[in-house]
Amino acid sequence: MTKYALYPGCVMPTEQYAYEISIRDALPLLNIALVDVEGFSCCGEPMKSMNQLMTLYLSARNLALAEKQNLDLFVPCPMCHLSLSECQRALENNPEMRDRINSMLASEDLQYKGSIDVVHTINLLHDHIGIEEIKKHVKKSLSGLKVATHYGCHLIRPSEVGRPVDSENPQKMETILKVLGAEPLDYPEKLDCCGAMLSANLPESALTKTGQKLQKVQDQGFDVFVDVCPWCHRMFDSKQVKAGETVAVKLEIPVMYLTQLLGLALGVKKEKLGLELNLSPVDKLKLGDK
Amino acid sequence: MGVVDLTSMAEEQSTLRNEINERLLKLKSEISDYCFQCAKCTSGCEAHKLLELEPHKIVALLKRGLIDEMVNSDVIWTCMSCFKCRERCPQKVAPVEILFALKNMAVASGKQIPGKYTSMLQSILSIGLIQDVQSVSNRDNKTKKRDNLGLPKVSKPLDAVKFQTAITKLAVEKI
Repeated sequence: MTKYALYPGCVMPTEQYAYEISIRDALPLLNIALVDVEGFSCCGEPMKSMNQLMTLYLSARNLALAEKQNLDLFVPCPMCHLSLSECQRALENNPEMRDRINSMLASEDLQYKGSIDVVHTINLLHDHIGIEEIKKHVKKSLSGLKVATHYGCHLIRPSEVGRPVDSENPQKMETILKVLGAEPLDYPEKLDCCGAMLSANLPESALTKTGQKLQKVQDQGFDVFVDVCPWCHRMFDSKQVKAGETVAVKLEIPVMYLTQLLGLALGVKKEKLGLELNLSPVDKLKLGDK
Repeated sequence: MGVVDLTSMAEEQSTLRNEINERLLKLKSEISDYCFQCAKCTSGCEAHKLLELEPHKIVALLKRGLIDEMVNSDVIWTCMSCFKCRERCPQKVAPVEILFALKNMAVASGKQIPGKYTSMLQSILSIGLIQDVQSVSNRDNKTKKRDNLGLPKVSKPLDAVKFQTAITKLAVEKI
């Protein structure tokens, strides 16, 4: 078993339970052991518009906490992953800032050293575990399932900071899905944003962005829409009906976390994986009934 | 110290405001000179069609020094931080980062903060996360919470007072 500390962030552990459940159900089957760490806080990314220093401080604080465990950090949320990666880069390039942040962290007996890696679901599966290893564990092929993927903006950009996938033609999720037996297909709107960051101040516009993308995906006849971000999933799955109303379309597209599909392919029972919590019509897929 | 002190232009926050101002002036003098107005940022902008955000114009206005005008404008709050402009700019100007600096300035100047930002900050101050554990419905309309889904306790700051003090200091600490 390879051990990783789990950094849950805010949205996944307080609301997007299906992501967390499917992560905890599926990853041990691929010999990954997750270690829960006490004391984490928000990564700071949602506060970037208010105060960027706060974002940097919060990220450094969480990294410092994880460093105490001497384990690489598994970060399932792309927003957190970007924030933590950007913090690492900023403190590495700017020793003065690093000293200043460390002097602030001292009040909680913490120190940022820069000694660990942060890993998202996609590079954990694709690069750390590896496609060949996943292949060995597939029990139920997802054959015939036409999948549209959605990576989430923060996972693919800005590449300058170092992101787990290519910014203009991300394919790692497709490679993972193919080894599970599914049929991922590219579509013109693949890189479009879900709009979630506008939920704080322009919620109607945020839903419109979601609706516009899902409408195109539905029109193109995909069976399922797959994501790896709790913010995006909240828009595409939890708020799908409302998103449809903003573009005057009845949306009925099953939306799942990659880790849910992975779990099914690895033979986890469909009663697990938090599948009851998806509000989009995932029953349509008749998954795991074979 | 509460959220109002944190985000308003209190006396002790002048250092923060000066710092953001310096950041903007630096962006103005060094970065915006590289922009040759190709508008590649605007052509890919996720907020352009829907909300008429034009990142190349933001850079042009910055170049002319119209900082206060932009800080006071609602348009800076339409960016959904998709980072396409930063990714695609041939001159590495990153309008999205200019927009972050402008929004930080608006907040530090005590302008009214739109939407839920203040409540998210309030929540971070009190529990460390942007929201507390929520009850959700499943497809059969049954209510579920973390504990009855077999999930462990949420990771939060252990010493709330120490955490809160540190965050509060940030508002007056020089960046």
